[in-house]
Amino acid sequence: MDVDIVCVGFGPATAGFLTTLSRQLLKADGTPAIESTVTPGMPPQILCYERADDLGFGVSGVVTRARGLRETFPDLDPKQIPMAALVAEEKVVYLLDPIGASRRSWTVRAADACLRAFKGLLPLKNDALELPWSPAFLHKTGGLVLSMGQFMQWVGAQIQSTGTVQIWLGTPVSEALIEDRNVVGVRLLDQGVDKQGKPGEGFMPGMDIHAALTVLGDGPVGPVGQQIDAQFGTPENHHSRDWAVGMKFVVDLPENTPLKPGTVLHTFGFPEPEIFGFFYVQPDRIASLGIFVPSWFDSPMRTSYRYLQHWMLHPYLWRYLEGSKLRSWGAKTLGESGRRGEPHLAGNGYARIGEGSGSTNVLTGSGIDEAWTTGTQLAESVLELLKAGKAFTKENLEQSYVSRRRTSWLESEARVAEKSRDGFQKGFVRGMVGMALAGLTNGRLALNGEPVPPYQRIPTLEEYYRGRISPEEIDQLGKECRIKGVSLHSALMQRCGWPAIPYDGKLLVSHQDALLLGGKVQAPPGYADHVVFLYPELCQKCGTKICIELCSGQAIAPGQGGVPAFDREKCVHCGACYWNCSQSVPGNPERMNIAFRAGTGGLHSAEN
Amino acid sequence: METILLLAHTEPDGTLAKSAFEILGAATSLNSSLAGSKIIAGLVGETVQSAADSIAKCGAVKFLGVAGADFAPSRYASDAAAAEAICRAANASLILAPATARWNRVLPAVAQRLGGHADTHITGIEASNGSISVNRWYYRQRMEASLQRKGRPWFILLEPGSQPAWGGERAPAKMETINVNLPETCKRTTVVGLREPTADAQTIRPDADLLLVAGAGWTKKQADGQPHVKEAEKLILGCLKLARASLGSSKSLVDLSGEGQATLSFLTHLNQIGQTGSTPRHAKGLATCCHGEEPHTVGWRFVNERRAINLDPGCGWARGKADVLYVADAFTVVAKVNELLAEKPAA
Amino acid sequence: MNTAYQIVVCGSIVPDPLQTLEPVTGPAGPALKNEMMLPAVLDPWASHALYEAANFAKHSAGSKVWLVSLGPKAKLQQVMMTVAQKVPFELIALDGPASGFTDAAEVAALLTEAIQSIPGLDKAKLLVFGGWESASRGAGATMQIVGERLGILDQFQGVDELKLNPDGSLEILERIEGGKHQVSRCVSPPALLGWATGNLPEPKNNPQVGMVNMRTAMPALQKAKPVKLAGESLTFKSVSLPKQLRETKIVKDKSADDIAREIVEWIRK
Ligand SMILES: Cc1cc2nc3c(=O)[nH]c(=O)nc-3n(C[C@H](O)[C@H](O)[C@H](O)COP(=O)(O)OP(=O)(O)OC[C@H]3O[C@@H](n4cnc5c(N)ncnc54)[C@H](O)[C@@H]3O)c2cc1C
Ligand SMILES: Cc1cc2nc3c(=O)[nH]c(=O)nc-3n(C[C@H](O)[C@H](O)[C@H](O)COP(=O)(O)OP(=O)(O)OC[C@H]3O[C@@H](n4cnc5c(N)ncnc54)[C@H](O)[C@@H]3O)c2cc1C
Ligand code: SF4
Ligand code: SF4
Repeated sequence: MDVDIVCVGFGPATAGFLTTLSRQLLKADGTPAIESTVTPGMPPQILCYERADDLGFGVSGVVTRARGLRETFPDLDPKQIPMAALVAEEKVVYLLDPIGASRRSWTVRAADACLRAFKGLLPLKNDALELPWSPAFLHKTGGLVLSMGQFMQWVGAQIQSTGTVQIWLGTPVSEALIEDRNVVGVRLLDQGVDKQGKPGEGFMPGMDIHAALTVLGDGPVGPVGQQIDAQFGTPENHHSRDWAVGMKFVVDLPENTPLKPGTVLHTFGFPEPEIFGFFYVQPDRIASLGIFVPSWFDSPMRTSYRYLQHWMLHPYLWRYLEGSKLRSWGAKTLGESGRRGEPHLAGNGYARIGEGSGSTNVLTGSGIDEAWTTGTQLAESVLELLKAGKAFTKENLEQSYVSRRRTSWLESEARVAEKSRDGFQKGFVRGMVGMALAGLTNGRLALNGEPVPPYQRIPTLEEYYRGRISPEEIDQLGKECRIKGVSLHSALMQRCGWPAIPYDGKLLVSHQDALLLGGKVQAPPGYADHVVFLYPELCQKCGTKICIELCSGQAIAPGQGGVPAFDREKCVHCGACYWNCSQSVPGNPERMNIAFRAGTGGLHSAEN
Repeated sequence: METILLLAHTEPDGTLAKSAFEILGAATSLNSSLAGSKIIAGLVGETVQSAADSIAKCGAVKFLGVAGADFAPSRYASDAAAAEAICRAANASLILAPATARWNRVLPAVAQRLGGHADTHITGIEASNGSISVNRWYYRQRMEASLQRKGRPWFILLEPGSQPAWGGERAPAKMETINVNLPETCKRTTVVGLREPTADAQTIRPDADLLLVAGAGWTKKQADGQPHVKEAEKLILGCLKLARASLGSSKSLVDLSGEGQATLSFLTHLNQIGQTGSTPRHAKGLATCCHGEEPHTVGWRFVNERRAINLDPGCGWARGKADVLYVADAFTVVAKVNELLAEKPAA
Repeated sequence: MNTAYQIVVCGSIVPDPLQTLEPVTGPAGPALKNEMMLPAVLDPWASHALYEAANFAKHSAGSKVWLVSLGPKAKLQQVMMTVAQKVPFELIALDGPASGFTDAAEVAALLTEAIQSIPGLDKAKLLVFGGWESASRGAGATMQIVGERLGILDQFQGVDELKLNPDGSLEILERIEGGKHQVSRCVSPPALLGWATGNLPEPKNNPQVGMVNMRTAMPALQKAKPVKLAGESLTFKSVSLPKQLRETKIVKDKSADDIAREIVEWIRK
């Protein structure tokens, strides 16, 4: 099938692209402002393929300065968008460990001890310290608290009602079509295949969609972006080694909540020093809250779900959350490398936008606005080229799109952020200092620490628990869990003093219940597994099996002969397994042993 | 002042199904709580006299019937004509009928024909201070509503099993037969027969009283460090047979079979209960070796009484998903259950 | 025997089945909490009807399928982006409520009107399809009333199969009690079929079908007629959720024998 422009993924970046583009394709009288080359006489044929089953199922992110958004929607009124509110109050809170189970370095412990000792002088309440001051670069003053799901539905409906763009849902792109180093379109996923991808009943090979321009907005772990990187390489010294998985709950707060819409809380220090938390209050007593578990949290027992529950139970937060009810749940990867992970932004026949193009700013904790802006910049460039009758060559796209990006606030802020987080490579305290330095000096100062690939940071279980749990006991617990077919982290965490979660069936529910009640996770039959263990022999030898521990949906479980088993019906496509593997593959030190491919299904919540 | 029409169709053998007696139960109690109301019985079928006799003492002031070969089959056009004729003859304001496949197909349309209203799948009916309200479920049984209508005639189709049946002696009933001449346009459809499901004991049998659910625990290593799959199979099949139960399963267990693991040979995905499986209706359910996670237990929505046997006192069933959780080894308990079931029940 | 059929499928949207639903009472009667925020899908039984229609049309050259859908326009548009890739059809959209709390008869009146407005409608070729029940109201009444209003006297509900006999008659399998099917034969259209699940797997997404459908679906959505339901004949006294959790009795320290006895007693009860 031939079209003019095909987009991969409908996240904020593509939404920015299509909003800007669709406004200028028709004249006021409804005739084309620009003509299609594949169907002359019509406006350009523009398709977008999104793998998730509905608009806004595949995204996350909630507080934004909304600079880019407001440029597109100058009269943006949060009341038009369900679950949106203006930012009203911001706080940064340091959480102490009220349980004594978290793994704190001696520096953190010393700091904690100081805080507790000067309790009388410091506003230390509920085992937490509300920072009296937080740096301006973290502020979202004048910004918005959003449900990305609702925002995407709102934008998506507007784009489609112009009649110039079709956004096809539940339709993953399997790969880009490349001919002579030109991207000439995309191929959709095969349908009617078994788990291994072998044709079965109703087999329908993925259709080829040819387009003059392919827009890649498939996010931080997008398979098409991966393919392009593999094919065309990445700029020198650019690599994506810093990641985090964000896991969130959307809850109904209790009726008597004192929290006002627009309240924004950011926490650090607990449940582990490396884990950051966010808590945003939306209208109608709704709150979105969650944690980020980063790749530089050097633990083989990284689990987001269990940690998220302990975080919610922290006295500082629990006083707000007690009596709340789970509405929605989800998880998603955040590409934290930012500009350092930036790929080639354009090539012959393609351009990259959004987080997959390194747009996310880790320093300011901001991705949506940046992604959106890359999209609008590309749209303006595309319109320019279309009007001038110029082809979508690498050169033309660089002159228009890339140069637009380089001269905008995106670039200058990304440079400040570029090194800000490197300090975390060498520990939490250093990281915090580094981040502050970079932020406050506009990037002139930073603590160096070149990131290493994530797998190199994963200690063995025995190393990690040295002095706390004996290797024999770890081995014993491991055996028991394998028999039960469950992950190991709960047993080990329990053993280290993390108390059992007091399930209440409303907010504190089992992981499986969160998948169903919150995420409403499902997967249609007839597609291949999109999570694949590339070299089973590496898994057999792998001791930590961190992929099982970390999996956001318990979709990866102990399997036969030491190779984990993947259950598509529980996968939320968070992409965390892509970078949570303890082994690199032969011949490529940047790639690990799990392939994360295009797949269908996942979350069915439009509130995240 | 309501004229309550009890509208029933007869079975091929000329009798009334249990659901018809249930409607009569509802009609008589409604009648007694409404001042000045009366009951008329209306019957449709190949023959109706014997059916009328079986409810002769129900207190109906009149027995109306439409009978004949044309009215034997369950067919829209003839059923609509018959029902319409009876309703008109009875001048009924309330029509109570069982929500059988036959009546569901046609009565909402008859209501339309008569300028009335119809509510189907009614699970409760009551009258207070002269006004009648009915209960029914919405959104796939997710919420229950109580509703009222002012307009008449009002057709109320009651779910079989939702009302206590009327019981009374047979007596000769005085039938008034209404002649309905069925035009050819109403005979374009012929019913050619019934098709029965292939009798496969291991599929979910909607007519069984008990749903026995087997979970993945049956195939897991037991206290002695070994799995006992053969024994599990024997126990489950034994229980199914003795309790005449329908077999359900958890996703984990049916998935195992897909992965070539030692598993219960008679299970397929058809047995899976839950979010991605089925949602059967059985009066009772017994879960064995199944953890009771929400994705599984949502499939139990319509299972009224729920019990579970699990080794783990902290399993999902304990958290409000079952009425009774037996913390015990299912192998031992089910063996004993089978033993007891095999014995003759005490008189 | 070669007949070209006109197959009109009635189907609206319902909340995605896994969403948490909660009733609220507004000025206009009961509704779902956050109804406009809930993701929606084409009503499952109506989807089966649509797939069956497309399949039937495919095997009778010259046939055509319409989908008549009453729902909030914005939601319909979104749902079309998954449905329109499945099978070819022409959309007729009515912009109005898709709530389960509306009266089936009122909905049926609007659907009938929309069907009657199809240009070139020929009753001798007409097959009206729909789901036998919706996943929202679940009454199984709308289709019969549509049929009655259209004057169709051959109606079938809970249909799992439709076969075309060589003589042009239709053979239909309907679900009845006890897990059985009734087999009927109808000489010719017009006929109305309320579908249960049928036998077809969900069709694969076909981008080309999608492109073609959208050429008519977008304009249909843009000019969707806003409709209102009076909602006067029906009064809701209450709508409530069932009690979610049971009081679980945990029996811990009984012997297996005692437990077995208790269970057998319960089974026999
Ligand atoms: C928990 C969490 C909280 C966050 N909070 C904030 C915040 O408060 N403020 C902020 O500014 N940012 C936040 N972010 C970051 C923000 O969400 C991202 O930066 C932003 O979503 C990136 O947008 P994008 O369009 O580039 O990519 P994405 O949002 O990742 O969108 C990519 C889309 O492509 C689709 N896709 C992927 N592969 C394919 C394929 N093969 N075929 C078809 N479709 C495909 C995906 O399903 C997805 O819809 C947060 C992120 C997370 C994970
Ligand atoms: C999106 C999604 C959809 C899903 N859909 C479904 C679905 O439709 N249906 C479904 O079933 N699941 C579904 N699941 C999976 C579900 O969450 C659970 O994983 C599954 O139900 C677990 O099956 P189980 O209880 O049999 O196995 P396990 O969780 O392995 O539990 C086995 C149980 O057996 C017990 N046991 C072991 N030995 C004995 C013994 N001798 N005596 C007594 N007890 C014993 C153990 O204590 C344990 O509780 C879904 C999950 C997701 C995420
Ligand atoms: S995928 Fe990676 S982490 Fe998981 S078992 Fe295999 S090698 Fe280990
Ligand atoms: S398997 Fe799915 S849910 Fe699990 S980590 Fe990978 S993408 Fe996330």
